[in-house]
Amino acid sequence: MSPESANPLLELVGIRAGYGTIDVLHGVDLRVMPGQVYALLGPNGAGKTTTLGVASGQIQPHAGSVLLDGHEVNGVSPDRLARAGVCLIPEGRGIFPNLTVAENLRMSTYAGVSYKEVQERAFAQFPRLQERRNQMAGTLSGGEQQMLAMSRALSTDPAILMLDELSMGLAPIIVEELYEQVATLAEAGLSILIVEQFAQAVLGVANEAAIMLHGKILRTGPPEEIAEELTAAYLGMS
Amino acid sequence: MIFGLRRSVVAATLLATLGAVVLAVLTWKGSQVTSESFLVTTYIGLFLGALWAMYATGLVVVYTTTGVFNFAQGAIGVFSAFLYWELHVNRGWHSILALFVVVCLFAPALGVTLDAVIMRRLRTASLVVQLMVTVAIMVLLLSVVGDIWEADTPRRVPYLFGINNGIDLGPSQLPWHRLIVFAVAIAIAVSMRFLLRRTRIGTAMRAVVDNRELAALNGARPNVVSSTSWALGSMMGALGGILIAPELGLDPATLNNVVIIAFAAAAFGALRNLPMAVIGAMLIGLLRAHTGAWLDFGPDFRFAHLAVAPLILLFVVVALPQARLEVGRLAHHLRRHERYTKWWEGLFGCGVVILLAVVFSGGWLDFGIWDPGAWGSRELNSANEAMALALIGLSLVPLIGWAGQINFAPLAFAGFGAFVYLKLAGDTGNGYWILLVGLLCAPLGALVALPAARLRGLYLALMTMAFAQAMSLIFFPHPWVMPIIGTGRQFPHIELFGVTFDDRRGFFLLMVCVFAIFVYGLVLLRRSRYGRRWMAINDSQAASATLGVPVVWTKVVVYAVSASMAGIAGVFWATVSGNVDSVQGFDLLIGFNIVLLVAAAGVSIPMAGIFLIFIPLFKGFGLRLEDAGNVDFLVTLLDIMTTYGPGLMVLGMVFNPRGAIFEMGRGFSPILPWRSDARAEIAAENAQKREPEIGELGLERPFNPEEVIAIDRRLGILDDVVPKEGYGTARS
Repeated sequence: MSPESANPLLELVGIRAGYGTIDVLHGVDLRVMPGQVYALLGPNGAGKTTTLGVASGQIQPHAGSVLLDGHEVNGVSPDRLARAGVCLIPEGRGIFPNLTVAENLRMSTYAGVSYKEVQERAFAQFPRLQERRNQMAGTLSGGEQQMLAMSRALSTDPAILMLDELSMGLAPIIVEELYEQVATLAEAGLSILIVEQFAQAVLGVANEAAIMLHGKILRTGPPEEIAEELTAAYLGMS
Repeated sequence: MIFGLRRSVVAATLLATLGAVVLAVLTWKGSQVTSESFLVTTYIGLFLGALWAMYATGLVVVYTTTGVFNFAQGAIGVFSAFLYWELHVNRGWHSILALFVVVCLFAPALGVTLDAVIMRRLRTASLVVQLMVTVAIMVLLLSVVGDIWEADTPRRVPYLFGINNGIDLGPSQLPWHRLIVFAVAIAIAVSMRFLLRRTRIGTAMRAVVDNRELAALNGARPNVVSSTSWALGSMMGALGGILIAPELGLDPATLNNVVIIAFAAAAFGALRNLPMAVIGAMLIGLLRAHTGAWLDFGPDFRFAHLAVAPLILLFVVVALPQARLEVGRLAHHLRRHERYTKWWEGLFGCGVVILLAVVFSGGWLDFGIWDPGAWGSRELNSANEAMALALIGLSLVPLIGWAGQINFAPLAFAGFGAFVYLKLAGDTGNGYWILLVGLLCAPLGALVALPAARLRGLYLALMTMAFAQAMSLIFFPHPWVMPIIGTGRQFPHIELFGVTFDDRRGFFLLMVCVFAIFVYGLVLLRRSRYGRRWMAINDSQAASATLGVPVVWTKVVVYAVSASMAGIAGVFWATVSGNVDSVQGFDLLIGFNIVLLVAAAGVSIPMAGIFLIFIPLFKGFGLRLEDAGNVDFLVTLLDIMTTYGPGLMVLGMVFNPRGAIFEMGRGFSPILPWRSDARAEIAAENAQKREPEIGELGLERPFNPEEVIAIDRRLGILDDVVPKEGYGTARS
């Protein structure tokens, strides 16, 4: 399918949002088309995570609207959005450390896929998780924890996947492995919104990219071009 | 490591077992142990264990699924038992119907309400606030029970199916009631284990404690999940209360104290392990039954067999390795606008307090019915009692307020002070010994501090509670400690500077002076090196240690200071009425009330102690108005304020964790001519509300691109990343 012809799957229009009375986002517009892999790049503190927070219902915007497949979803709780197919893997291992691996997987079943199915798919993708299914998730290695977090994306057939700093604090080889999974998902036609500080990791999978700085999206375009300018933006602006 | 256990645990267990064996040999009753009597004792023990297991299950379920250790678990049981009595006995409903209404309708509703109104807001509160709030709920529930069902009516909750129906066991009978209790307790524990481990809602209940936001991102409804936890916990408390009431009688304090045994059992399972908690409850039940049956501690230690649970709790908390307590909870860091009280401000404040006390009690001015100068002995007595408790409460300011060391045993320290004074001064009433009392109480504080040095938060609270309970069951009732003298005063009137304070008004003024000295001493301490160290270890022990603060020694000192303050206060407390009821006088609830009162006032501010004087004043006014007989409304109001006030104010901490006095002080201080800093602070806060005009300097939020460019242009360093075609197209 060609991205331009369809309606955007996720659209943020004029989003102003933040914490307390202080705005972090000053009018963010963003559209993720069906089947698109959209990389949102930018330095620390640019408002990338806040953008994902707004898109997933965790943060209510002060102004603007969030549209999912054309429907306005402002004010809808994050758990309802999650059951409707919005899958956000938060920054820094989205796992429950005091639950076992299997129990973490059971938590993925709210989106409608059965426990058995979730387990089968997760273990097929990451056999290492099967070996450790009765281990506390908090005792897994960093890479295994991120695999466990990713397995929710892989096993629950989400409508849109949002990944926040997937590569943070992980060895390059593991990052590569995780992005291979992302690429597989992308090939299968899943729409993905990726947030990263460093462009290198996402360049292979993204087909649209944007630079975010100080709460605004500065520029969108093909990933290669954006990556080049990103370096300049980092040096020049922050 | 021996069998995977730490050596210290093995050593402590061996030592405890050895001690128990020696104790058993010394106190052996000498009655014949037959297989029959042994079996009967065992079945009683298992039955008791089952009852406690029910409470412990509720505690563990609520703790693992909400991260809140619910001190009110017992009080929920008490309230439910009284409600059951009201419906079943007083109104004649069928027992099954009453049981259903209380356990399946009332209890879940109570749990959900608690969660929605209070607990949900406690998620990010500090542990002190969390604990205080559940203790406040406990005290409030018990006060409500006391108000609705007056204590003087004897009440009994009948056994389900009667005491005489059951299985014949030869020498005795096993009533259906006990059999049901046993079965229900096991069934509840097993099904809770199944729920928590094998179902999605149970998994979600535990997941919500770990990471509430992530649970929502998974699609679980966090509020529904935590309400379910509270509803379940509350149901278990209710069921436990109703089933245990026939055995213990319907007395709020007795029933509530059961929860300590449940705490011990829960601690056995490191607060989170259900099967271990149930095993712990059974063990305590067996121990309790068998010590009761075979050992005789003599009349001097007549309550010692009741101390099994607190001693086990002490042992478990001190010896067993602790589970990780911070269950993924984000510590809520308050923005501190902490300001040291200046030395002359402290002096001024204390002077004003003494002056007011003298003027009001002198009787020179006529305030009509509001004149404390006209108080009779009854009002003065009550005011004196409350004043003495306020003195004890002040001892908690450095300990809880500054060092963050929770202590539920202020009354034990105070009682120890009274005991030391009794032994030193005898019947002379020589007040100079009080200073020595202060010195001698410090080592007791240090002794408690040693195990406390490795305990944190909740475990510390449990340890001090167990310590208080053990002291009140073993130490204080001993006739040598507090001998009961026929009709006279056990504690004679204090004599100081050649004056005998045998007049109640004079004694009140004496206590006000001591109070002022304490407050002023605290003001100075807060400004001292130790004051700063205590605040530092409260903020972060690790950081303090890296700065070179000797953490253990600092803790020992703060305990010693607190203990000696409490000891001195204890002398006055004992002298108010002249006699201490060594059995009732040390009830844990009084200790809880003192802690609550201080917490409500704002436990970290020494001047907040002044607030504690209001309670005796309210008490006195209330009694006086009652005597006058024509202002019912005010009497009720003052009565409510003194009974429910502290509890309600602590609930207020949910919304403002610094305590009431802190907020009052913030409102009041800008009026003081020398407090320009307070005026500036209010101005700054008002300015912040006018966001976004203020705070544009990149401190409150980052610059936006236009501003960056504007600044760069001004500085002449504009580089080539300026908005060209395409930039800023995404702007609204």
